[in-house]
Amino acid sequence: MKKNNSAGNRLFMALVFLFLYAPIFLLIVFSFNKGNSNTVWTGFSLDWYKSLFQNRIIMQSVYTTLLVSLLATIIATIAGTFAAIGFYSLRRRQRNVLTTINNIPMMNADIVTGVAMCLFFVAFFGGWKTFATWFNGIQSVIELPVRLTLGFGTLLIAHVAFNIPYVLLSVGPKLRQMDKNLVDAAQDLGCTWMQAFWKVILPEIKPGILSGALTAFTMSVDDFIISYFTAGSSSSTLAMTIYGMTKKRVTPEINAISTLLFVTVLILLAITNIREARQEQRALRSQSMPAAAQSGDRPPIRSAAARRLPKLGGAVAVAALLIGTVLAVGRNAGQRVVNVCSWGEYIDTDLIDQFEEETGILVNYQTVESNEALYSLLKSGAGDYDIIVPSDYMISQLIEEGMLEKLDYEKIPNFSLVDDRFKNLSYDPENEYTVPYAWGTMGIIYNTAMVDEPITSWDAMFDTQYAGNVLMFRNSRDAMATALLKLGYSLNTTDEGELREAFQLLADAKRQGVYQSFVMDEIFQKLEGGNAAIGAYYAGDYLTMLDNNEDLAFVIPEEGTNWFVDAMCMLKDAPHQEEAHEWINFIASTDASLANMDYIWYASPNKKALEEYPAYYEELYEEPLDPEIYEIMAASQETLDQCELYLALPRETRMLYNDLWTKLGIG
Amino acid sequence: MKSKLSRFSIPYVIWMALFTVAPIIMVVVYAFSSAEGGFTLDNFAQMGTYAVVFTRSFKLAIIATIICLLIGYPVSYMMSKEGERFQRLAMVLIMLPMWMNFLLRTYAWMSILENNGLLNQFFQHIGLIDLYNRIFGTNIEFFRMMNTQGAVVLGMVYNYLPFMILPIYSVIVKLDRSLIEAARDLGANTFHVFRKVILPLSLPGVLSGITMVFVPSVSTFAISKMLGGGTELLLGDLIEQQFLGNAYNPQLGAAISLVMMVIVVVCMVVMNRFGEGEEQAVML
Repeated sequence: MKKNNSAGNRLFMALVFLFLYAPIFLLIVFSFNKGNSNTVWTGFSLDWYKSLFQNRIIMQSVYTTLLVSLLATIIATIAGTFAAIGFYSLRRRQRNVLTTINNIPMMNADIVTGVAMCLFFVAFFGGWKTFATWFNGIQSVIELPVRLTLGFGTLLIAHVAFNIPYVLLSVGPKLRQMDKNLVDAAQDLGCTWMQAFWKVILPEIKPGILSGALTAFTMSVDDFIISYFTAGSSSSTLAMTIYGMTKKRVTPEINAISTLLFVTVLILLAITNIREARQEQRALRSQSMPAAAQSGDRPPIRSAAARRLPKLGGAVAVAALLIGTVLAVGRNAGQRVVNVCSWGEYIDTDLIDQFEEETGILVNYQTVESNEALYSLLKSGAGDYDIIVPSDYMISQLIEEGMLEKLDYEKIPNFSLVDDRFKNLSYDPENEYTVPYAWGTMGIIYNTAMVDEPITSWDAMFDTQYAGNVLMFRNSRDAMATALLKLGYSLNTTDEGELREAFQLLADAKRQGVYQSFVMDEIFQKLEGGNAAIGAYYAGDYLTMLDNNEDLAFVIPEEGTNWFVDAMCMLKDAPHQEEAHEWINFIASTDASLANMDYIWYASPNKKALEEYPAYYEELYEEPLDPEIYEIMAASQETLDQCELYLALPRETRMLYNDLWTKLGIG
Repeated sequence: MKSKLSRFSIPYVIWMALFTVAPIIMVVVYAFSSAEGGFTLDNFAQMGTYAVVFTRSFKLAIIATIICLLIGYPVSYMMSKEGERFQRLAMVLIMLPMWMNFLLRTYAWMSILENNGLLNQFFQHIGLIDLYNRIFGTNIEFFRMMNTQGAVVLGMVYNYLPFMILPIYSVIVKLDRSLIEAARDLGANTFHVFRKVILPLSLPGVLSGITMVFVPSVSTFAISKMLGGGTELLLGDLIEQQFLGNAYNPQLGAAISLVMMVIVVVCMVVMNRFGEGEEQAVML
């Protein structure tokens, strides 16, 4: 009976572990996959491991993660230990109050901690700016930096802040277990309080410190949410990089790096556990007296040299890390940098390398999912960029709010290559702020194998016939546009009645289960994998998807659609203006435009590139470019004439959009 | 002596004032201000609209917490009865997944649960879907698992289960064995020993496990976005959207955060009444 029971127990536990490990094994297995899918096995290869080490974004974020976790752990462990001793020596009332405050970051939801920190830093930066401007104004000896931004520093502070409580929590109990008379005895025997600390307290609480440090490190490495709100745009942890990727495609390189980390930790844990087990056995054997066995935490007495060895090792590690940091910072200090923020899969990454080689300027390339998200990032102070590539309507909003810097077109000779059709557009009538990057149309992408008849109208986006198979935009402007188009209203309407009608259409369709999900770049893998039949998205991205799934078709519905221009702009007070101009000029060149067109499948505004692209394609792939494809990529003027460009909306209308959009999510 | 050592707490008290208390005050300030900066209660006046999101989030988080408890408690209990070597191994196995980033593990679930995902492929392969169609006369090609509330709950349970197991286990394993023996000697059977001795004594672990699962579940945004399809917002999504997402309104975001924080704190205080006076279980 008993045996049966324990077999059942083990089976249950095995199932739980299977549940915990199935996805992990999946990730590990697919890191050896030849193709880039996480569901279809195409053969064994180590390619992803090779390309991992060339992927600068991933390697950089791994480095940031490890560095911030290590530094935060070291700082938090030292600070937490002292704080715990301090707390322990306080009177009970005071201690209880402080302990409650200490517990706040642990009890609070991560998102609240993250948001609170973000608000605090941004408010502090605002205050600092005023102070530094004033201070620099009244004297000229010391020049204080005026502009502070979220970055590695704030990330580190946030990590330290949420790590200290864990250290305190594991050191505290050890202090309370300690025999209080020991400290008094040490003092009676002539110890100063500093000596008492080193010789008596520290050895007693060492296990607590170690487990606190381990917890802190684990928490730091695993953290995503707090980093997400405090790291800004210039430094990105591995978790943030992965989050960015889950929105479109996670490259198996991420599987590879995770496998490597996982195996490393597995080995480390195995070694420490085996060693601990051995030590404990030895301790039990050598200390057969029950009293000694009870205080098993206390390490057996070792020689002074053996005791110093780990300390020495720790000191060396810390020193190496600090030197590494200084070197890393020093290396970057002299380096010219430009921070660029754009959309996902929106540049030929070879261009970045080429630019860096030619100019020696390091490109810090970030992506964001939508215009609205970009706006939030800029407003909340989390986005620290030099160049952004927003769409038309967002550009006029940013200009209106004074967030953009005028460009110096003398430094951008390649601007003259831009087709006149794309100059002086409504969002920047005098063309003072922008250089167009790419343009295209919005339309419906559908899987011909999953729908019965060709789709021709925006009706499809609201049709219950396709319930559960439709993907809708996860940004208010585009989502509302699909409904406005179906209703035959202007995309730029400010009429509240029309907007509410459009919202109702979306809300009803959502209630009837038409939408499988609201997506941005997740649409790539959902449509490519045949997990949804219909989705509204942008023409260039359709062509990318077509490469991976031939059943997909693209249509500009008969009601017309939106055409858009994304343009490069420089942010107000951008710290690297010189570099920013060089980047813009480089991207606007005909060669870069051609390479980019070929890679992202969006049309360039460069006149020569537009004309030459079919020939370029033919030369590269040794087959002519399908004119139909070219028409999707670079719609003819006739098509464009039937489309509407988004205009900036007045503030009240924008508020209404936000409001309706949030309501739709609630519904 | 003691008072001298207590100086050590001063730097940390300053630190907490700056980086724990001040940020929370910022949230409160934001929650009560308008976009222009003046004082307002508008942000809270709108809160009724979001009641649905609050209910949905709390519902899913409670379900996830209960499931975690139903799985986590037996696992901890069974673990504590195994040999020392097994326990050590099991602990490592439970902590290890945390080293593979949770976003990545959640992403792996996406490829398992998708309509064309591994699980549906498997069902197709063994003929389960055909069987289902024959029995119910339906014509489905896959089981819809992605983009449902079930998938979100699964993601929560998957990610936060270790947070339930670890504190419960660390309490159970430290239980004074002599109490159990005493209960046995006094005639209690296995069930009674469990109900009258082990369960009450492990309550602190259970409470801290519940907190550690419930709080992140109720405020998650990544899991719901990835597995839930983003059509039904959870509290975390709503807050994230107001700060870094598609509807910039930090004042409203702060107000929602504040309300959520207050509700969670009230829940915790009420719950901790049950385990009053108990030491908080150390988690790892």
